[in-house]
Amino acid sequence: MEKTAIYPFTAIVGQEPMKKALILNVINPTLGGVLIRGEKGTAKSTAVRAVADLLPEMDQIEGCIFSCDPEDKSKMCEVCLEKVEKGIKLKIVKKKMKVVELPVSATEDRVVGTLDIEHAIKKGEKKFEPGILARANRNILYVDEVNLLDDHVVDVILDSAAMGVNTIEREGVSYSHPARFVLVGTMNPEEGDLRPQLLDRFGLVVDVTGEKKPEDRVEIIKRRLNFETDPHGFGKNFEPLQRELRQKIIEARKRLSGVKYSDKILELIAKICVTMGVDGHRADITMLKTAITIAAFKKKNEIAPQDVIEAAHLVLPHRMRKKPFEKGVLDFSKVEEIANEFAV
Amino acid sequence: MNLLFKKFVYPFSAVVGQKKLKTAVILNLINPSIGGVLISGEKGTAKSTLVRGLVALVPELDIIEVPLNITEDRLIGTIDIEKAITTGKRYFEPGLLAKAHGNVLYVDEVNLLSDNIVNCLLDVCQSGVNKVEREGISYTHEARFVLIGTMNPEEGMLSTQFLDRFGMYVKTEGCNDISERKEILRRRMEYETNPQRFIARYEAEAKKLQHEIAIAAKLLETIEVDDSIMRLAADIATQKNCAGHRADIIMVEAAKALAAWRQRKHVTIKDVIEVAEFVLPHRAREMSNAEWGQTGREEGDHEKNKNNREEKGKALPDESDAKNENYNSRQSKTTACPETGNSAGNTKKEETSRAKNGRADDTEQFLDNINKDNVQQPESIFKVIPINVSPIDRIKRKGSGKRTSTKSETPRGRYVRYRFPVDRPKDIAFDATLRAAAPYQNTRDRRGNAVAIEKQDFREKVREKRVGNIILFVVDASGSMGARERMKVTKGAILSLLNDAYQKRDMVGMVAFRKNKAEVLLNITRSVDLAMKCLKDLPTGGRTPLSAGLLVGYEILKARKIKDPEMVPLFVLVSDGRANVSLSGDDPVKEAKEIAARIAAEKMNPLVIDTEDEFLSLGIAKEVADAMGARYYKINDLKAGNIEHIVREMSNSR
Repeated sequence: MEKTAIYPFTAIVGQEPMKKALILNVINPTLGGVLIRGEKGTAKSTAVRAVADLLPEMDQIEGCIFSCDPEDKSKMCEVCLEKVEKGIKLKIVKKKMKVVELPVSATEDRVVGTLDIEHAIKKGEKKFEPGILARANRNILYVDEVNLLDDHVVDVILDSAAMGVNTIEREGVSYSHPARFVLVGTMNPEEGDLRPQLLDRFGLVVDVTGEKKPEDRVEIIKRRLNFETDPHGFGKNFEPLQRELRQKIIEARKRLSGVKYSDKILELIAKICVTMGVDGHRADITMLKTAITIAAFKKKNEIAPQDVIEAAHLVLPHRMRKKPFEKGVLDFSKVEEIANEFAV
Repeated sequence: MNLLFKKFVYPFSAVVGQKKLKTAVILNLINPSIGGVLISGEKGTAKSTLVRGLVALVPELDIIEVPLNITEDRLIGTIDIEKAITTGKRYFEPGLLAKAHGNVLYVDEVNLLSDNIVNCLLDVCQSGVNKVEREGISYTHEARFVLIGTMNPEEGMLSTQFLDRFGMYVKTEGCNDISERKEILRRRMEYETNPQRFIARYEAEAKKLQHEIAIAAKLLETIEVDDSIMRLAADIATQKNCAGHRADIIMVEAAKALAAWRQRKHVTIKDVIEVAEFVLPHRAREMSNAEWGQTGREEGDHEKNKNNREEKGKALPDESDAKNENYNSRQSKTTACPETGNSAGNTKKEETSRAKNGRADDTEQFLDNINKDNVQQPESIFKVIPINVSPIDRIKRKGSGKRTSTKSETPRGRYVRYRFPVDRPKDIAFDATLRAAAPYQNTRDRRGNAVAIEKQDFREKVREKRVGNIILFVVDASGSMGARERMKVTKGAILSLLNDAYQKRDMVGMVAFRKNKAEVLLNITRSVDLAMKCLKDLPTGGRTPLSAGLLVGYEILKARKIKDPEMVPLFVLVSDGRANVSLSGDDPVKEAKEIAARIAAEKMNPLVIDTEDEFLSLGIAKEVADAMGARYYKINDLKAGNIEHIVREMSNSR
């Protein structure tokens, strides 16, 4: 099957916060994904597909449905781990990150996996048939209209996302496998909200709107038309930009583990979270990780307060508790106030 | 738990703070007869991390995790398909309950578990025995385990029966201490960068803890319990109105464990009092569900009580008198102001002071209130009388067998068990079908396959949806409602209704209208807890756009009906009816009645609660109720404890 051309990430006009959130997540997949809130036709799914295409290939164990990383024993599936421990040489293939899509109509058994019917009939044995979560391991799980999904399906997805493991005890099968993925959800808030507990599980959130400036809008149309008439030629034009960004991402990944942060930065983060009154500690952790990733992307080796503020913009909006007749919008002046005090 | 993931869990002793939770868990490990612990708390407070950390702490115990996607067959066990196919005989294949025997059974997000699974669990917890009678298998095995569950109360509550199965209850909270928060961050990052190194660092501490637990467990058998201690436990339980004797027994067991943990041979009064705060919060009956969110505060009070008691010396008779007083005073405290524990954050103080202003019963302030915003705290919650709303739904399902089949055609919801198909099987439960067919394979023509399935083997999936009714509250928050503390009474009434919805697993939503618009405060959700938070923070002030409120409510329920036709909606309007803002510029009252007529046409089971003052009555709410075809009640009717009567009337008529 010939691969359909994918719109280049760097050719997307505007939508900077969304692009930033996606890039940060692919640099550091432990950020916990991103929820994109906004109206239709704002390049949400184009951007998700494009970001996966932008990435360099990664090593995978050949034939492993979970795309196991040959380097990381702590996150391997049972089969691969057994092989490694027995000293069996594993074949390694290079593959790009996939975008695994979860349709709104998905049923729980398709998501978590189920009993392999064919195998059972033919062989009379029980075998686990992997579901969407299995395929999503080390890839991007894209859930369009996440707010319209059945509640219990969302529950199991987020449970796996939080644990990095999918445990199945159903329909005669008992199985566990790694399920670490970059979760990207989209929703149109007009069609109903997500429960706060589910919101909290998304690391970052961005609100997107259509570009307002006429010249930007014209540019969007132009590029789209060009892409449709000649996708390959269009892709070629953007190749230098693509290569540059790809290189930046690769470098940021390398730099990630070396980014330092002072005690004062930790204090700043804790203060912001306490002042803003978020529930629990997930916001702190995500804010720090995001700030680290931002710093790495900026080719820096240490977090600056500005990085924390930037991170706060992505981490806090969906974690604020909304009160009646108050806008759920985050009052950023407070965050900046804290940061200013901090600078003094 | 999968061996692979055990190696890298975040160590128990590396969790910062959460002292109470740690103690509760450790006591259960020392003495499994305590019966487990339910951990309740907001998101991101290390609930799951702590429990999962147990794996490394107690290597001889297995933590059996019940995932949310579990089906009945895997929980209780069933026929071994593979053996059945090859031998034609029925062997039992154990489920999680068999594995859990003598171990820990852990349910993350226990309040999201399907009802069917909860019932299975309840049954086994009660008897300590798992009796399997299904698919031609008849098998019984012991199943005693420490049950640990975590939950976020915002996602809904557990049934009282199920709550009672948990020996202890602990509420976790995030900490607001900056240096502690920093430490949490630091450790988490360290763990994620290099789990092996991090775990190794806490190895020694884990070993020490492990050793101490082992010693305490040994010591447990030798612990002596005086009669006076048992008396005290019984007194406390009676005082708190706990049903049955489980609370007393668990308190004694827990106190024993605590004494052993402290390496003492005798249980002291202090031990009992200390464990009471773990054993009682979810059992004390006078504590209504609305106060669940406030257990943190309750525990705080307890500390004070404890201190008082310590000062008072050790004479037992006096002790129990003093205790009575303490408990009494605490009861009145918690019921009189259920809002105090509200975690509303920084703005809370400001609000309460505003609320105080609003409370001044003064005619001058009446006018003031109309235009000023104020937040009145709800009046005490009424004695909770069960409001049977959900049976409506159940009657419908059971009563008309024909309708059920059409309902099952939507293959949505969670698959929990199977049944025999009535007609042609639609949503085939393949695992159950296979189990039914398996034992007969030796005698069938299998045409090269391992299994041949015949018509009589087919089984269908039974899917469960989590919800009962949808109750939408449309609340008047205009200035006129703020006068004469009317909002206080109103909030109390709504809270009472919400309270009931809590237990009935209804979904709730809330719309409020004031000034010139109606706002959806809460989209339809299962979280009654959120609805309560919303309501408590609801300010009053401004004019009354009644028709806007009605319209928004109408639209929400209508949209919901399309999405979910099985739902039984309940439209509750709470207003004094004094409409003075319209959407179109027409007469506000006329417009409200027009929309009310639309609500009547959609059969949304409307209910109007009139909050108008008796002697200034204009009677508009009544007129709107008539236009809506709604049942109509004055707020004072509700207050007299007639809720039960009202709702019974409502369910009977349908």
